[in-house]
Amino acid sequence: MGALQYVIKRLGLYLAVVLIGLSITFLLPRFMPANPIEAYIGQLQSRANGTLTPEAIVSLRANLEELYGLKGDLFTQYLSYMKRVVLQFDFGPSFAFYPQPVNTMILRALPWTLGLLLVSTFIAWILGNLVGLVAGYFHTKRAASILELLGVLLYPIPYYILAVSLILLLAYVIPIFPLSPTFPVGQMTPAKFGMVIYNSLLPALTLVLAGFGWNILSMKALAVATTEEPYVTYARLKGASNWTRMIRYVFRNAMLPQVTALALSLGTVFNGALLTEILFSYPGVGLIMRTAASSGDYNVLYGAIAISIIAVATAGLIIDLIYPLLDPRIRRQ
Amino acid sequence: MAKLGRYLLAPILGALMGTSVFAQETMTDVGTPRSETLIVQTFDGKTANPDAMNPFNLYAIWRGFRELGWSFLWEMDTATGKSYPELAAGPVEVLNDAHTQFRIKLRPGVFWSDGVELTADDFIYTLDTASKYKDKFNFVAGYVNYVKSWKKVDNYTFEVETTNPAYDVQTVLGVYTWGSQFTPAPKHIFEKLGDGVVTFKNAPAVTLGPYKIKEFDPNGFWQLWELRDDWQRSGWGNSGEPKAKYVLYKDFGAEETRTLAFVQNQYDIDTFMSPDSIAAAKARNPLIESFSKTFPYHDMNDACSYGIYINQQKAPYDKAEVRWALALAVDLKTVGLSAVNGQFKAAALPLSDTPITNPVFYKPLDGFLQGLTLGDGYKPFDAGFGTQMVEALKAQGTAASELPTGDAVNQGFGAGWWKFDPAESEKLLASVGIKKGADGFYAMPDGSPWVIDLVFPSDWNKVMQRVGFSIADSWKKAGFNVNARQVDAGEHNTVGNTNSKFSLELQWNNTCVYNANWLNGWRSFNAGNVKPVDSADALSGNYLRVTDPAIFDLVAASAKLPPEDPQFTENGRSVVKKLVEGMQEINLMNIPTTIPTNSAYWTNYPKQDNFYAAPYTWWSSFKKTILNIKPTGKK
Repeated sequence: MGALQYVIKRLGLYLAVVLIGLSITFLLPRFMPANPIEAYIGQLQSRANGTLTPEAIVSLRANLEELYGLKGDLFTQYLSYMKRVVLQFDFGPSFAFYPQPVNTMILRALPWTLGLLLVSTFIAWILGNLVGLVAGYFHTKRAASILELLGVLLYPIPYYILAVSLILLLAYVIPIFPLSPTFPVGQMTPAKFGMVIYNSLLPALTLVLAGFGWNILSMKALAVATTEEPYVTYARLKGASNWTRMIRYVFRNAMLPQVTALALSLGTVFNGALLTEILFSYPGVGLIMRTAASSGDYNVLYGAIAISIIAVATAGLIIDLIYPLLDPRIRRQ
Repeated sequence: MAKLGRYLLAPILGALMGTSVFAQETMTDVGTPRSETLIVQTFDGKTANPDAMNPFNLYAIWRGFRELGWSFLWEMDTATGKSYPELAAGPVEVLNDAHTQFRIKLRPGVFWSDGVELTADDFIYTLDTASKYKDKFNFVAGYVNYVKSWKKVDNYTFEVETTNPAYDVQTVLGVYTWGSQFTPAPKHIFEKLGDGVVTFKNAPAVTLGPYKIKEFDPNGFWQLWELRDDWQRSGWGNSGEPKAKYVLYKDFGAEETRTLAFVQNQYDIDTFMSPDSIAAAKARNPLIESFSKTFPYHDMNDACSYGIYINQQKAPYDKAEVRWALALAVDLKTVGLSAVNGQFKAAALPLSDTPITNPVFYKPLDGFLQGLTLGDGYKPFDAGFGTQMVEALKAQGTAASELPTGDAVNQGFGAGWWKFDPAESEKLLASVGIKKGADGFYAMPDGSPWVIDLVFPSDWNKVMQRVGFSIADSWKKAGFNVNARQVDAGEHNTVGNTNSKFSLELQWNNTCVYNANWLNGWRSFNAGNVKPVDSADALSGNYLRVTDPAIFDLVAASAKLPPEDPQFTENGRSVVKKLVEGMQEINLMNIPTTIPTNSAYWTNYPKQDNFYAAPYTWWSSFKKTILNIKPTGKK
């Protein structure tokens, strides 16, 4: 298969995944037991002390159906949704925060989520793999067991427990980080950027530690197995140094499954966003999705899940495209 | 390794040293002197639309808008339940015998925060605009249907005509409990927008109250208010000098971090912290106080009450015997002890038992409750409920000094509740053919299984969640097969207003009678708000599913009476009696509202023994707190 064919096939698969994902996203909230229009009218009526007349409610309901894009049968709604989303990337207004556009809400939150979670996921991956590599390559040494112990200790700790423990330790007992950060507003200056970094350090540290353990254990296991491969033995007999064998022979070969794992974890950063945002008062899409799910805010759910689907699919596509660069066997196929 | 550690730690410590962490604890995170800043936890947590400040829309009420930014024609004195003029120069003037035409005079000399004077033109513009775009705005329905026409008389006078005879103008066009929808918009800002007013965000808003917006977080975590230099000519500047130069509304996040921040004196007033967290915080910081020094510790004066709403149109709940059987199978003492550590005030009538409602409803109906007799001659009321709570808490090891005595028992735990009597419950059920089956659970008269679907909030309302599970447990022990279902807010709302989905639900939205003007909470009891039992259409009121024509008649007759009329009050009591006699709602308790305060920087908050206003930071009456708090001098 030529390189072009490979790329086209992967791109086709990517588009199919995104389209199927968007279609499922359209349907899922409609199975939710909450009706956003009725919930909204209920709120209004309660605040209007019962003064809304039945005629006023009928008119309000029709108006909201129009505004929310819920007019017509399911298929009509689906076509209108796909047209808006695919052609204009427009998810309409939020129901719960009407008339706030969903795009505005998500675009405001997305840089925070991506900034924190992408960076911490990368750092956890790099550090975990380096430690795991050393622990695996020198697995017969006692020091390597200590490094492995680090992974064994960190990996099973539930994220919530780890986060609360670090908050207690580093924001309460030794208060070097804020319990509830206040991010600066207005034009970004170096000093304000410094505050953003400082306020993000504790959640980032927690995320790194949470992702660190698995990477150590996984890479260690791969490195141990790879160290036993004949080509590593051959390199040793050939006189290659420990460093060369570890990096060029063991790491390069053990890295491939880890790259796949990285891609998957990058795609799912949105899943990790929610707890982090709740516990650390960190702005991002996780809290927006939570509020939307509990209030039946279809449009916000569409927007957040669609972006999540696109992110996962894109991460997969990128890995598919760079895999041949990392693995000559795929390149040859 | 040590060298590496130094290299890694140096920049981090360097960054930290440059921050306020090691600076003096005199400035807040938003750069204001802590000693001049009152800091409160936001009611709505983190908001997704912090720049939505258009008063025609719903979200411009939180984070200080109705307390500090807006101002209303009439405000409510939440210590007495009496309405008083704020922007208005006095009480509303009635112009005709039919009670449909009214004149409202404004207090001259009130100015917007940008220096323009407030006049009748602002009110006329607000009514014109709300009416024109009533389908586009979502916070105008409360008054655009209430008034039919309006006209300016002079710069400080305007007149309105109501759609129906009205006796509650001051509490519809002014504040009834927590705020009013009728919030004047500044004509000089909004008029030039034309149709654009519908999408106008109005950020930062020009305000009428004594505070203006200094800054707000675009991520929705906080909003900072600053006292206007000309606060004396603001909407309620004539009430006195606000004590805090700055007020910061901030979401301190999850309860775990909020509690820790509260212990560290990072903020002054919390909202809805759980009793467990309050106890933990109080143990670590003596400056943290709950609303009362003795049980039940917390504020119990909310306008609404928690209760089990019943679909009275659906079998077998359409029978009063079944509803009474359910009520008598609730072990409220155990429910309250397990769900809220005994920190609650029982309320047997379908409304809260507060210092305002007690003399109007509870005290006059005490004899009715004591004498109430069911069809089989059984007297269900237990006037000794409060005393039993005291005994139960004493047995659990609560110090005597923390328990109320004498009259304070009933003030603390309520004037009584229904007996816990599963035997009588069984008897009542047997009278309508419901008996226990082989599985030990009650079955329908035809022998088919009877599963009670009890819906209540999940962790978005932890008190109700715990109460819900405790009630389900109480009923299960009494032989009811209960499907306890905790749901998100959206589903809770949908179930509550859709007959086909609703059997029993823990709710509060139709048991909100705040003062003698009971009609404000129950005017939706009318035939127009009754739908067929299997209807999938949403109700727009009458969430108690009242179908009794006698109640509808009382509501209709009362709409033609002023709330001050003794007959109006008597009609309200008659409605209450009918609701109780048929056990149309199993009312449980006042809403226990936890408002712990921290007196490191400010004191003289409203408390049980210093009740100058309701202590809620999200009610417009919070302005009373702003006027009465005192700085401690701590820098």
